[in-house]
Amino acid sequence: MEGLMKTLLRNIKQFMLDNPKAFIGIVIVLTVCLLCLLAPLLTEYAASARVGRPHQAPGGDHLLGTTRMGRDVWAQVLYGGRISLMVGFVAGTFVILMAMIVGIASGYFGGLVDNVLSLLTNLVMVIPSLPLMLVLAAFLDQVSPLVIAIIIGATSWPWGARVLRSQTLAIRNRDFVHAAEVMGESKKRMLFAEIMPNMMSILASSFIGTVIYAIMTQATLEFIGLGDPLSVTWGGMLYNADQTSAMRIGAWWEIVAPSVALASVAIGLALINFSIDEISNPKLKAQRIMAKFRREQNKAAKQQAAAPLTNAEQAS
Amino acid sequence: MKFILSRLGFYLLAFVTAVTINFFLPRMMPGDPIKSFLGRLAMNGGQITPETISALEALYGYSTSTPLWQQFFQYLGSVLAGDWGMSTRFFQPVFEVLGRGMLWTLLLVGTYLIVSYTLTTLLGIYVAWKRGTWTDSVITVGSVVVSSIPSVVMALVMYFIFASNLGWFPTSYAYHPSLDPAFSGEFIGSVAYHLVLPLLCMVALGMGNVMGMRSNMINQLGEDFIVMGWAKGVRDRKVMLHYGARNAILPMITSFAMSVGAIFGGSLIIEIIFNYPGLGQVMFQAMLARDYPLIQGYLLIMTMMVLGANFIADCLLFVLDPRLRTQLD
Repeated sequence: MEGLMKTLLRNIKQFMLDNPKAFIGIVIVLTVCLLCLLAPLLTEYAASARVGRPHQAPGGDHLLGTTRMGRDVWAQVLYGGRISLMVGFVAGTFVILMAMIVGIASGYFGGLVDNVLSLLTNLVMVIPSLPLMLVLAAFLDQVSPLVIAIIIGATSWPWGARVLRSQTLAIRNRDFVHAAEVMGESKKRMLFAEIMPNMMSILASSFIGTVIYAIMTQATLEFIGLGDPLSVTWGGMLYNADQTSAMRIGAWWEIVAPSVALASVAIGLALINFSIDEISNPKLKAQRIMAKFRREQNKAAKQQAAAPLTNAEQAS
Repeated sequence: MKFILSRLGFYLLAFVTAVTINFFLPRMMPGDPIKSFLGRLAMNGGQITPETISALEALYGYSTSTPLWQQFFQYLGSVLAGDWGMSTRFFQPVFEVLGRGMLWTLLLVGTYLIVSYTLTTLLGIYVAWKRGTWTDSVITVGSVVVSSIPSVVMALVMYFIFASNLGWFPTSYAYHPSLDPAFSGEFIGSVAYHLVLPLLCMVALGMGNVMGMRSNMINQLGEDFIVMGWAKGVRDRKVMLHYGARNAILPMITSFAMSVGAIFGGSLIIEIIFNYPGLGQVMFQAMLARDYPLIQGYLLIMTMMVLGANFIADCLLFVLDPRLRTQLD
């Protein structure tokens, strides 16, 4: 048991040294997720209750101050994060499922299926998604976070589908897939056991990419005033702060708190994504290899430069 | 030629799809714009006569008496003829309102595209060339971090620091309101001055392209023809620019075409926060007033711009990539 722990710790340490960016990203994202999940333990206030005087500065009873409505900003950040993150993950899951079905099916089956699905993908891709979302949201009037997640999901899957399609096409013609075909493997097994595992990195990075995009888009939609005013979210907090001109009267904490939350989640996820790219495409990860190579080269060059100098010194 | 024609056919189809969405959305949604208008009217003590209803139906181009398919073709015809209905917020034809905003959005997005793509492409080439050094780490990680900041956050923070608090940049308008549009140094200077902060914000958000260019370039640098170039004794600079970058730029153009919708979308929030009178600002006003014809017009014009940008990208690729030409001829 102790040995197992040791190996686990060693593996974590090794991972940290190998991928410092991913490690920082994971720490940021996990911290934010934990804070939001543990919200009831970290604050005694409810997110949408009047618990203090309006616009109290941070410190004292209210860690991050209060809004104009006298609501606790820290509580709002924590509870709002739950909804914002949930929207991100729901939309991300939706997109990845859609992209997988459409992308892999059109890459694998080819022919008519491919033509129809590619046309659909390209159509959804060229119709700009943010304006489309705005139109949808405008007609639905104020939309709940779940509806926002679904709208984001339904309009942003084509990118992933296109990448997955070309990847499927590339893998489909590899020898090992042909071999599996000759061996008489079923289509299901070929798809899930032969082709899918080769696309894990793409799936992971497009999932994370969509989560970032969804969290950002949700904040945008809510900032424009299309959110549900009853649910507390980061974008909704920005909207309320902007509407009550918090900045002009010096209540900077109302803007800064949700901004920091949004930015740190996005940066954390982007760092993870960056590392996934590096791990799946080792060419990009030239960092340490090249650095080592350079060090040795420099050393050699210095030695060479130093050698004649010592000779000259001896001569004089 | 065949390639260009098939692309044009696709764009026409895409445009008709956008029109179709625009047509069916209001008819599928629970909130009927005419009913909600009548509701508001009745609440304010207005008289509702059959004439009011038919006038509103004419205004929204929306009627319950004609069959759906007939309405659809009427709508399609009027859209193609440039009649996009009347804005209920500005009391002007939608086309005119959008045209005014379009000018500024094109200026903002156009300048952004030139500045950002030049900057990120050059940086990407340089960083890929210097991969593994400190410069590389700082620039790549920096651009990942900066570009992943949500646009709302970036714009709000920049607005409050540089425009609102420090007062270095204007807080609204596209040029000083006391000036008349004229081809003078003063006017152009004012336009440029008002453009700086929104532009900076967009460029910062677009820094993610450095990553794309870097990975394209690194992939190219691993190819045999690069080694061949070195073996022939071609100078570094030439290998970098003529051998590597020349090929690495091609995927960038495709990715530009794919992301142009997001770029126009991104300009929306920037314009709203910086009070820049472009399409985004028009859209925001339309949203607040629930001006449905204008909102729908916005989707159409955005689709048109994205399709236009895609077409330009197609043509560019056709010119830059000789393989595409020989393949098709």
